[in-house]
Amino acid sequence: MREEKLIIYLNNAATTWPKPQTVIAATMTSLASPVFGSGRTAGTEGEDYPTLAREALARLFHAGPAEHYIFTLNATDSLNLLIRGFLAAHPGPCHVLTTALDHNAVQRPLHELEKEGRISLTVVPFDEDGHVSPAAVETAVRPETRLMVMAHGSNVLGTVQEIGAIGALLHDHGVYVIVDGAQTAGHIPVDLGALPVDAYVFTGHKGLFGTAGTGGFYIRDPDAVAPVRVGGTGTDSSSLFQPQEMPERFEAGTPNYPGLAALAAGVEFVLSIGVDAIAEKAECQTAYIIGELEKEPNIVVHTRHPTLPIVSFSVRGMDDDDVGFVLARAYGVVTRTGLHCAPLVHRAIDGGKGCVRLSLSWFTTDEECRTAAAAIREVACNACCQVNSP
Amino acid sequence: MHVVRSIRHKSCADGTLMKEFVLSAPLTAGFFSYLENFGRVEAMPALGEGFYTFEKTDFFSIKGFAGDTTVEVRFRREVTDLTTDFLYSLFSLYRDGNPDLVFLKRRESALVERVHEHLYGR
Repeated sequence: MREEKLIIYLNNAATTWPKPQTVIAATMTSLASPVFGSGRTAGTEGEDYPTLAREALARLFHAGPAEHYIFTLNATDSLNLLIRGFLAAHPGPCHVLTTALDHNAVQRPLHELEKEGRISLTVVPFDEDGHVSPAAVETAVRPETRLMVMAHGSNVLGTVQEIGAIGALLHDHGVYVIVDGAQTAGHIPVDLGALPVDAYVFTGHKGLFGTAGTGGFYIRDPDAVAPVRVGGTGTDSSSLFQPQEMPERFEAGTPNYPGLAALAAGVEFVLSIGVDAIAEKAECQTAYIIGELEKEPNIVVHTRHPTLPIVSFSVRGMDDDDVGFVLARAYGVVTRTGLHCAPLVHRAIDGGKGCVRLSLSWFTTDEECRTAAAAIREVACNACCQVNSP
Repeated sequence: MHVVRSIRHKSCADGTLMKEFVLSAPLTAGFFSYLENFGRVEAMPALGEGFYTFEKTDFFSIKGFAGDTTVEVRFRREVTDLTTDFLYSLFSLYRDGNPDLVFLKRRESALVERVHEHLYGR
């Protein structure tokens, strides 16, 4: 066996690792204690983790009330609930917009609905810098457009969209705006108190440093979306119908208490560092890696100026899966290769072949960036002198 | 050398089925030279102890490092049932560099016909 390498984990856009010690401790404490949930126990001891997490999120995103933060399984689950719930609350013809930057968490629910004949759909393209222009969105709006679902940050290109300008023009047309913040929550400042956004989706296991299986959304006006998942809430139990109060309107079933303990601790960790500081460090490290990769003529970097700590690249003459395989096995650099669940982005940037993605977190060190960049350059150099069989 | 067990499975974006196999002995440059009898081998000898890929069109591809006891194999999904056994034979009949090439080539020829028939019809 070859010598085991230390891991340099650069797959944080999928799931952040490592987690802060406070997150691990909060999860363990939650698991070591009896469940405390309003209406679900006669006990009075224990932390109310859902409320702690809601209040932390309201501080992070500068918008309340805390009860308007709804917990789900993940961002995909949130998007399905919001999209289907919006359509349930607004029967009749519906034209929906999304963007070519969006993840399959958005594309698949919308394309399935289009196939079912429930909606008509327009996918707004992005420009060569990886941005969807407000003008392109305005061009796509029709009189029957009711909904736009769009990524705040691209999980492949690391670009962040002008949600302020796009949301404002959509509101002028009476269009409901759902923003997928899976890649931006915890990475850049997001002020939901000021942004013209009707619902903002987040996931727990990425920039918020929680665990997989947690996510949610913020909704400004709960009446705009019908609940499509209903059941026990521990409240108003004599009624056979879903309570309309928040958050029970959208939350049914026993919550993921350990996951929400982790999420609350993760958000508190982000608040303790400061999102500005997190973004600033990530910007420096990302720029460094891109600068290093661009020195190698055999490497194609797909975005030169990402806002998020994401660097996507290809090595000429080498399959992206092979690059990822070599980086992991020979150098211990963990990346993600392929289409990143964003097929329309890849159709535009690499002909749909896929690429290699590096993604950083607050815990990524400068030394790890140097080592990873050097490893990638070494692999690219070797790709030039590949030996073929006769 | 033989396959000890399969440790990871994944459906890939290109439609292939990826499986990672643990082998009873480390891969060698000689093993990949032997594979050239059955398909295309590419090598990057300067990476680690040597990085190798093997591609057998319509069957599967193999990638791995010399000195390593794991390989990643991507099967063409539609014919996985037909080709898996041949993959195992490529490892088990290598026999430390003394393979029975006549036997393996005969099996390969018979299998190529079945695979082509399955994928493209007669």
